[in-house]
Parts: sequence; structure tokens; C-alpha cells
Amino acid sequence: MLYRQAGIRHRRYAAERQLWPLTFDRMLVGAVALFLLAAPFTLDRLYVSGYLLPWLLWSSAALGLNLLMGGAGQIHLGYGAVMAIGAYSSVHLVRNGVPFELALILSGSMSAAIGIIFGAAALRVKGLYLAMSTLAMQYIVDFTISHAPGISGGTQASLQVPRVSVLGIPVTGEVAPYYVALALCAIVTLFMLNVGRTSFGRALAAIREKDYAAEIIGVSTFKYKLLAFWTSSFIGGAVGAVLAVCYLRIVTPDQFHLDLSIQLVAMVIVGGLGSVLGSFFGAALILFAPIFFNHAIGMLAAGLGLSISTDLRSHIPLMLYGGLIILFLLVEPLGLAKMYDNVRKYFLVWPFRHVRK
Amino acid sequence: MHIDRRTFLAGGSALLIGQVPLPARAQDKLIKFGAPQDFTKVYTFVTAEYSQGQRDYITLFNERGGIKGFKVHLDVIDHGNDLPRAIEAFERYKREGYVLVDPLSTPMARGLVTRALEDKINMVTTLSGRSDAADGTAFPYVMPLSPNYWSQAALIIDFFQKQDKDLKGKKIVLVHIDTPFGREPIPIYQALAQKLGYEFQAFPYTPPGNDQSAIWPQVRRARPDWVIFWGAGVGQTVALNEAIRNGLPLDRMSSSVWLSESDMEVVGKDATKGVLKFEAAAGGREPKVIQDILKEVVAKGKGAGPEGKVGTSYYNIGVMMGAIQIEGLRKAFEKAPDGPYTGPWLNEGLRSITNFTADGLLPPITTTKQDHQGGGRGRIARWDGSKFVAQSDWGSAYEDVVWAEIRKYSEEFKKSGK
Amino acid sequence: MDLILLGELAINGVLVGLMYGLIALGIVLVYKTSGLANLAQGALAMAGGYVTVALATLAGLPMWAAVVAALAVMFVCGMLIERVMLRRMIGQPVIMIIMLTLGLEIFLRGVGPGIFGSAVKPLDLGIRQAPIIVGDILINRAYLIGGAISALLIMATIALFNSRLGVRMRAVSDDQTASWSVGIRVERTIAIAWGLAAALATAAGILWGSVQGVDWSLSLLLMKALAISILGGLDSIAGVLLAAVIVGVAESLATGILDPLVGGGTRDIVASVIIVMTLLVRPYGLFGREHIERV
Repeated sequence: MLYRQAGIRHRRYAAERQLWPLTFDRMLVGAVALFLLAAPFTLDRLYVSGYLLPWLLWSSAALGLNLLMGGAGQIHLGYGAVMAIGAYSSVHLVRNGVPFELALILSGSMSAAIGIIFGAAALRVKGLYLAMSTLAMQYIVDFTISHAPGISGGTQASLQVPRVSVLGIPVTGEVAPYYVALALCAIVTLFMLNVGRTSFGRALAAIREKDYAAEIIGVSTFKYKLLAFWTSSFIGGAVGAVLAVCYLRIVTPDQFHLDLSIQLVAMVIVGGLGSVLGSFFGAALILFAPIFFNHAIGMLAAGLGLSISTDLRSHIPLMLYGGLIILFLLVEPLGLAKMYDNVRKYFLVWPFRHVRK
Repeated sequence: MHIDRRTFLAGGSALLIGQVPLPARAQDKLIKFGAPQDFTKVYTFVTAEYSQGQRDYITLFNERGGIKGFKVHLDVIDHGNDLPRAIEAFERYKREGYVLVDPLSTPMARGLVTRALEDKINMVTTLSGRSDAADGTAFPYVMPLSPNYWSQAALIIDFFQKQDKDLKGKKIVLVHIDTPFGREPIPIYQALAQKLGYEFQAFPYTPPGNDQSAIWPQVRRARPDWVIFWGAGVGQTVALNEAIRNGLPLDRMSSSVWLSESDMEVVGKDATKGVLKFEAAAGGREPKVIQDILKEVVAKGKGAGPEGKVGTSYYNIGVMMGAIQIEGLRKAFEKAPDGPYTGPWLNEGLRSITNFTADGLLPPITTTKQDHQGGGRGRIARWDGSKFVAQSDWGSAYEDVVWAEIRKYSEEFKKSGK
Repeated sequence: MDLILLGELAINGVLVGLMYGLIALGIVLVYKTSGLANLAQGALAMAGGYVTVALATLAGLPMWAAVVAALAVMFVCGMLIERVMLRRMIGQPVIMIIMLTLGLEIFLRGVGPGIFGSAVKPLDLGIRQAPIIVGDILINRAYLIGGAISALLIMATIALFNSRLGVRMRAVSDDQTASWSVGIRVERTIAIAWGLAAALATAAGILWGSVQGVDWSLSLLLMKALAISILGGLDSIAGVLLAAVIVGVAESLATGILDPLVGGGTRDIVASVIIVMTLLVRPYGLFGREHIERV
């Protein structure tokens, strides 16, 4: 049904290598794109700036991290710090009159330049050790930001983001920030979809599978590990910049703490390591599950007239959230992307289940 | 995982059922207040009790018939000190016509300042948030409605001075958590040090303060005349423990407002005898409002939490804030009885509270369009082994120094958004 | 800067470091036997603290009985965690294990305060508050006892590795397949390691709980424990002992010397800097075994 393969015959290599060979997949992507484009005009403001905007931004960040974790197999527990560098660079640049378009690129480069130091650790260690060193660097960056008044903004430690304009359009209200985030997300997504088909992406995959083996077949692990950190940090920095300008609008050091890093890692893993689609699913689940559980428990308690203590009522969502992460890892380690894939495969051959292996 | 027809159907129907909208609650004749607060992350030490007090007071108000046929609906939800969740709540409140939010968290309050100012929703920053938000001209929609940290610091120093007659040549030490919240009072202590001639020294400890073992030996060796410990939750209990172990005299130690009966219980009720703290509202069950709540709310089984918590310091602060918010509402109704019932409408009321004491629970609070702090009055109380006993009358101190500081930062905010 | 103050800071640093080491011990124990990352150790300490408080106050047990019972309960919990969760994750990449244990941490952080209430809970071991004064140096009684118990437990664990069970654990950590083939029950050995880790976490939770009270912030002890285990080498128990002392003293002295210069609490940064420096200079720690990789 739906995902019909019948009748699709490729006559050129280019046609066979396209991103979505199936008509239905293309239509689905088109429909989602159309929905996202039309959202500010069809949906309520709450859904646009309260849900879609953060979702797009967090998905972009998860994509950037996924390049490193899924693509190159390097663990990074300090991605929040990378985003903080981008956010703070862009805010300071914009406050000093640099146009936002330029500030975006500069803050991406700034993050990349510092992010590559995280990468230096990856040259020496891997696995749990790498996780620990990135974690430690997260703390060091946090400390530096909050203890340098020049960066964090003095005693109050908060910096308001001035109004900026992109390509001559002022980024104010709900619509413009949303489109900026959407544009960034689209660029990052297209990059991630295509990176696997480049020599860069294949080199990363070789390193992911076994770095020593990659070195032996002529892939420079030194170069590509650093490049992976560079690229991923650049994306992180750019997302951090847009996050500050379009969503946070006032930056304080605690917005980029370890919690953010762990949230992002959870998004990548629950979504599916290395999967572009998974990053979107993962971001949605991790961002909105606590909110959803909170509302659901609240409604249940109110609806059924349950008298449970405030402490228990407010901690049940936390338990469910932690439990959900555990459950996903146990039931489907390949993540939400794999679950979607299962559904898709089911329909691919429906109703002839027997042909499915 | 392997998907067959049965799991697919089950999953699909579960999704469908999830889509069925739950019946919406009745929404007519309600003034809506939002209380997204941190029940699960950093502010756990205060939120449960604060929220209980706030809800009990609002229940009392509603039970008594509300005002002009309107009742107050207080939406309590956990934001877990996570900004996206606080922003989601804020956006939802904005859509559903809420007129007030009370995030009770300094980072969230800071993160929401821009939105509150732009969307004209009153944000109450109870004993938290930016101290310079007391300047109503710079922050029209940010309402501390309680003594900020600078006023607290000034009052504590004032109390020390009254005890010692003269602070010249004395040494005052501040042991504080190393966050913006902990660093905030330092300018006031420095400014007052110049004025009064005492020596000031600050010792920061890393948040959340569960290990201060290396700080207190230094404090002891500094031989301070007075010690102020400035933290929250676990940092406070550890500070007290360490002070006792280092043999510092507890009756010459004072905390900011964030010290409660449960902290004293952790350290030991008798061991902590003599500790001082700043008080923004009277503690205990004696105040008339608390008695009313006990009679009209708790006795009828409508209390929001365990009865044993009624009358604790943080509970009473919750009651205090509920009462001030409701008083602002009354004033708003006085000014414009027919609404429209929006953020700016309530703002007018919240900014014109005069000499409100909630039947003796709090010092008289008077807000104006300039002063959102309400006068910055409070008092110092001492732990006597079972409760905090007031040591001074309600009052304020060095408000000129405090306001010089407030203006300095609010001007900066107006100018550069820092 | 007078030397006596430094001496006092150093002594208290040693004791506090040893108490951190107790948490690091669980991480090392699990990593050594199974090669799994255990980032839930801090949350397990918190859970242990809560269980002890619950047994002492709700069930009304005397403190010593509550401690013993809590250790037993948490030992079983640790084994259950291994059986239900980690055994199913065999063969998954290390990041999955890290995430799983982080998920467990979030879960435990909901369960403890959710059931027992989020206010800080007192846990009184009956240690007197009065300080011990030697010359001009003051030694903190709570830390002295805590550090001594920790050191004893760390030594006991070293001794354990020479017992019959310890030999099995060492075999498992060397080569799981080979251990299987000589009849060692690898799963059970790993489960026991988790049980022991949870029990050690409980001991740490109780000691720290008596110092600071029991609440969610006990789970933050993880970071210090990680610094210790990395510095000592993730697969060296003896390394924990030395690294604990080094980290404790370094942190304590940094607070005394660096804080006034920087104007901020440098304590947390010391742990992070130690991790980074260790990884750059000697990636496998002071006593860790270098892992040789073959293609």
C-alpha cells in the first residue's frame, strides 16, 4: 500500500541515488515541509513559538551532535558548552553592531575553533574516557562563562539579545524567528542527509567502525576526527546563535549546563544513532515528554479526584521520563527511527506479509 | 522490535484514543494565575511548601466567594528549572489569557524577563530573580513584591550594627554559593563596608554546596565578628553543620530568607540554637490568616498538602505571596471593575497596593509605579530550638544605598539590556 | 597564606577525598568486572540514603539495623538492575550504556523525592559534632569517621579481590569467554559486582547523608567520583585509594589558594581539570592497565 515500489524503474544512476526514490516518501516529506512552512499562518501562536520553534532548534542541535556520535562514533557529553560558545559569541557580536548573518558564521567558527579542542581529546582516548573528558570540558566552559563578567554580562549574569534583522527583515514577533529557525534546520537537515554520500561522510563511517582499521586503509584518523569535531561544533555554534536570538532572547549561563548536553545525547540515542529522521523524533520525545506527562498526570489527578501528594504528583513525570529512556534503550536500541522504519516496512509490502523477511 | 498486524493495530488505536480531547474545565468568571514552579530539580527545598501556602490562601479566597463573582484559578505545574518548559508554560498562559505568572526560580525569572515585558504578563519574582527589578520604571511587568536580596543584606547589617552599637573595625564574612544568586548581595555589603567601616570578606563555595569542608576552616581563621551564610537548600544545612564543627558561635551567624524549620531539623534542633535569619513574613500559626486557613480550608479537608507543614516559614511565604497577589487583584477591581481583565489591568492593581499587611502576617507593603519591592521591609528572627523568634520590629534599612544600587543596574538594563 | 591552614585543609581534604573515593569504588568495581560505564552511581548513593532514612523513620528500625537492612536492600537492587537492564545491553556500544545509566539516574531522582518528599531528610548516625583539635589544627569529626570507614571499605575491596570471589571477578574482567569455558558463571559474577557497587553507593550515601542530609543533591557526588576513578585508572581498586587522596587534597587546597585569586568557587573545576590532565598525560590513569587494541 502507501509506500508503493511497483512501477518505479530507474533509468539513470542519479535517479536511483536520489534521497527519496519512493513517490510516497517524497510526498510525505513535501507534506511535512508544506505544513512547517504554513504553520505560522494556520496554527496558533502557542504551537508555533512554544512547540515548533524549540523543536526545530533542538532537532538541529541533535543533528549536529548526531554527525559526531552517529556519523563518526565519537561520544560528546559537552555539546551544550559548544552551543553556549556559539550563543555567547553571537550575542556579543550582535550587541557590538555586527550584522546577524555575519555573526552567525563567526559564532559558528568560534564554536568550531574551541570545539576542536574537545576533539583533541578524541585523538588520545575513546569510549568512556572520551565521554569523561568532554564532560570535564563542559564544566570548564561553564565555569569560564559564568566567572568572566565580560562574557556573562556582570553581576546579573544575563544578557539581553538586541533585535536583529536577517536579510533586511527584522526578526521580531512570532513569525520571523520561526522562519529563521526553519531555514537553519532545513540547511542542517539537507547537509546531514547528503553527508553520508560524500567522501567525508564515508571517512567518518570508516572511523566509526574501527579507527585503527580506517588508518590502515588510508583514512587519516587525525584529520577526520578533528574535522568531525570541527563540523559538528560549527553546527552547534550556529544553532546556539539562532537559539539565543530567536528563542531565548536573553542568555544566562545556566541555560547551557550539563543538563542540555545530556538532553541532546538522549535525543540522539532515543531517536536513533546516525539517523536524520531519528533526531527529529528524539528531539520531540525528549523535549515534550516531560511537558506531556505533567499535563497528563495533572489532568488525571484532577479528573479522577485523586488526592496524591504534590511531591509525588510532580515527580511521577520525572520517573516516567527516566523510565521511558530506559525502556526505549532496552526495547529498541536502534531508536525511534527504527520503529518508524518497521512501520514503513510493514506497509511497503502490505498486504503480502509473507514476502517480508 | 518486530511489527506484526496486532501490535500495529494496538499502537494505531492507542494513538487514536490519545487524540480524543479531554473535556475542558469551565472557564467563565475566572481570573487566571499561573504558577509554573520547580518541584523536581533545584528549588525542591522550598517549592512544595511555598506552593501549598499559595494554594491554600487562594482556596481561602475562593471559598469566601472571590471578588465580584470572580474566582481565581491557580495553575500549578512543574517546570523542572528547564527554560524550554518554562517558556512553553508561559506561551500557554499567554494564549489562555493568564494575567500573572509566578515561576519561583531565579534562572527562569531571568530567562522570562524579555517575554514578560513584551507580552505584558505580570511576572512575580518572589524573593528571587533580579534585584534591580524593584525599579518599576525599567521593569514594568516584573513584580518582586517582596524584599530583594539587597534589602535583605542591608537589614542584616543593620541588625548587626544595632547589636554591636558600632561596626567600625569589625569583620563580617559572607559565605555564599557561587552562582549569580549568591554573588548578588556583595555590592551592598561592600558599599555598606565603606559607610560603616567594617571589614568585609567573601568566601564562595561551589553549588549546590554539599561540600564546604575547605571553606569553613578559612572562615574560622579569619576570626569574623559576624558570619552571613547565603545559600539555599542543602548548602544551608551543610553550612550550619560546618560552622558548628568549626566551633563558630551560632548566635553571630545570619542567613538570608532561605532558611527553614526543616533545615534546622536536619542539622539538629538544639544544636542550631541561636542562628539568625531574615524574615519577610511572620512564621508559625499565630497570624490571623493562618488561623483562618486552618479553620476554613484545612479543617474542611481542602488543604493542598500535609497539615503539619502549615505555618512553616516557606508555607507562610507562600501565603504571603498569595495574599499580596490577591490584594493586587482587589486594587485592580477597584480601579477598573469592568476590566478588560488583562495583564496591564492587573498590573495597575499590583502597582498600587498600599499598607497591606495581610492581617499582621507581613510588614506593611506599599507598591508604586517606581517601587515594585513594596518598601523592602522585613525583620531578623532567631531560632530558639523549636521556632524562629523575632528579634526586631518590621522595618527597612539603608534603602538609599539599596536604591542607588538598584538604579545603577536598572539604568544599565535600560541602556544595554544586561 | 599560613602553613597551618594549608595543613588543616590538606588533612580535611584527605578525609573528604576518601569519602568521594567510596563512590568511585563502585564505578571502578563495575568497570573492572564488566567493562560497563556506571554513571548511575551517584543516584544509587541517593537511593541508598533514602532507603536508610525510610527504614529508620517509617519502619522505626534503630539506626544500625536500618543501615544493615539498607545495604542488603540496595545489594539486591543492584543485582536486579544488572539482571533487568544491563544484561540486555550486552554488545551495545558504550554510549548506550552511558545513556541507560543516565536514564536510571533520572528515574531514581524521581522515585526518591517522589515517594519520600522533596524536603531535605535528616540522617543522624550519632556522630558528635564537637571538633577534634590537634595543636592549632582542627579535624572534622564527621569527616574523620567517614574517611576512616571509606578507607576501610576500599581496603576491604582490595582484599576481596584476593578471595575466591575476587579471583572469579578478575578472571571475568580478563576474558569473559575464557572464564565461561572454565566454568565461571560470568553473569552471576557481574551481577554480584553490581550488587556490591550499589551497596558501596549506599554506604557512601549514608555517610554523606549524615553530613549534608538526604536529598537529590547526593546524586551530584558522581562528578568527583568520576575524577577519582579516571585519575586512579578505571580498572584499579588501589588506584582509587591514591587518587581519592590526591583529588581531595587538590580540591581542598585549590579552595584555599585559588578561590581568593579567581573570586569564585574553583572546587568543581579542579575535578574537571584533573580529568582532562589525566587523559592528556596518562590516559589510563595512575594504575590503570593500558588497553591494547588489535584490528
